[in-house]
Amino acid sequence: MNTTDAIVTVEQVTRRFPLDHNAVTALDNLTLAIDHGEFLAISGPSGSGKSTLLNLIGCIDKPTSGRILIEGTDTSRLSPSETSVLRREKIGFVFQTFNLIPVFTAAENVEYPLLVQGLSNSERRRRVAEALNNVGLSSRASHRPDLLSGGERQRVAIARAIVHRPAIVLADEPTANLDTRNATQLIDLMRDLNQSLGLTFIFSTHDQRLLEHTPRIVRLTDGRIVSDTISETSHVEVLAASVS
Amino acid sequence: MTLLMVGGGVAGLLLVGGFFAFMFRGLRESTIRNGLGHLQIFNAEHFRRDEVHVLDTGISDWQRVASNVRSADHVRGIAPRIEFYGMLSNGVKSSVFMGSAVDPDAERAMSFSPRLAAGRDLTESSSGEIEALVGTGVARSMSVKVGDGLTILSVTADGALNGIDVQIVGIVNTGFKDLDDRYLRITLPSAQRLLQSDRVTNLVVGLDKTENTDAVAAAFTPRLNGLSQEMTMKKWIDLAAYYKQVRTLFSGIFLFLGIIVFFMVLMASVNTLLMAMMERTREIGTMLAMGTPRPWIVALFMLEATITGVLGAAVGLIGGNLIGIALNASGLHLPPPPGLSTEMAFRVLHVPALMIGSSILVVVSLALASILPAVRASRLQIAEALAHV
Repeated sequence: MNTTDAIVTVEQVTRRFPLDHNAVTALDNLTLAIDHGEFLAISGPSGSGKSTLLNLIGCIDKPTSGRILIEGTDTSRLSPSETSVLRREKIGFVFQTFNLIPVFTAAENVEYPLLVQGLSNSERRRRVAEALNNVGLSSRASHRPDLLSGGERQRVAIARAIVHRPAIVLADEPTANLDTRNATQLIDLMRDLNQSLGLTFIFSTHDQRLLEHTPRIVRLTDGRIVSDTISETSHVEVLAASVS
Repeated sequence: MTLLMVGGGVAGLLLVGGFFAFMFRGLRESTIRNGLGHLQIFNAEHFRRDEVHVLDTGISDWQRVASNVRSADHVRGIAPRIEFYGMLSNGVKSSVFMGSAVDPDAERAMSFSPRLAAGRDLTESSSGEIEALVGTGVARSMSVKVGDGLTILSVTADGALNGIDVQIVGIVNTGFKDLDDRYLRITLPSAQRLLQSDRVTNLVVGLDKTENTDAVAAAFTPRLNGLSQEMTMKKWIDLAAYYKQVRTLFSGIFLFLGIIVFFMVLMASVNTLLMAMMERTREIGTMLAMGTPRPWIVALFMLEATITGVLGAAVGLIGGNLIGIALNASGLHLPPPPGLSTEMAFRVLHVPALMIGSSILVVVSLALASILPAVRASRLQIAEALAHV
């Protein structure tokens, strides 16, 4: 993989968690490069380090050793507030349990990242409408999360993750809490957004349904990459589709 | 829960403070209307030295002084008084008295009526009998009733001993047991005959409203200059030692209650807000993951706590005032407090300053209580917070 085009570069990253008198190694000297516009799955059994790797790429955790570069910026050199800005501007998050703010409506949840960015009211409204339209939930904008189905909540979470036009969308087991129909719809949606907007999607999953639609799959075991496979539909084709 | 606790704190302060305010107002007005008046004018010498003979620091040309100040705004009336001491006797037993000589018509014009337990008030008698009122304690100890006679003895302005016979026309309950045991009241001419002097001790000025006291006092100052005697003036608050003691005591109690409420709200709110923080750990983690600056989290918690404080204060204001209205309508009375001989009405005043003060107190308490949970929330490790169950 050529790291000069990489949006994410993981260089010899190790992450250990102290546990009593020992330490558990979640990631062990892992190196990986992810290009712009990729649709990449991180797969592996429980405890293989998938979520840890996503947390490190998302700058919500720090490696014990090694470094991670986002668009060439070494995240280990950033101050906490610079890291915050990087997350706010470059990264969108989708969580397994949706993590919507329960007292906000769908539109307000989607609006939140724009509020943090300090965008004007009219700009926020325009982008929220666009993002909800992208995920097919314009008609549910004023509903609170408890009035939405699981699939709808996850689509709101995706709208929230893309509304501020990040470079990378990180999704941790996005289909784990969804039934087959909703999971399939969500996979199609993520793939469409990847192709139409050229967003880089990096997600962890065990879900075979999702893996079947994924051009690149990185498999982890015990914190190490055991395989990194690219299918026929490469991200280059995705980018081409996006451009056309 | 926090809302109810804050509301309860505010309501409690309103009720206790409202009752204290009622008590202070009642005590103030009864102190003034029991004869203290709003202002008292004295010969300046009265406060510089002790009297050698009775009334030698009294006001000599008191009618002129009275006419000088009578025309000022808000003045309802002026009553001359003589304070004197002596012995009284029923022929068998003698006792010391504290006498007060008054002009009954002037006193009545200002609603300074004695609280009668029996009989009637003094009049400007033309029958030749010298009328007297005595305290309930005096009547009991001297075994006299309305219509009976007593002899009173006092030292005259010249230092000689003089005595007069009086007829008891009424028995007075001043509200203060110690005073009831010594109290004697006669008319001004009777006292001047007994004391062989046409001076008076002071002039008591009654106003239309207590709130006008300071303004009238300022207006009096030029009117008291240029007289043959140097005059001085005292406001009711300067002379109401008992009122000031009671007010100081109850203000201290109220301050103590306020401190207790403050700490109660503070501690309970810290606990509730810490629990809320725990419940919202994942939500906070999500917000931080999306790049929310950590100071925003602090501000969010503090803002939420402040809003809770404002809502709680509103609940307390509504609840406290409604309970106050209900208590006032119930006509509740309390037993006589120590030193008083009459039972006391229980009323709650609606005091705007108290409402504002207690609301500010709980809002500040909640804002302070939110600091610790807010700081803790802002310091959460994002990855751990997102994994929080």
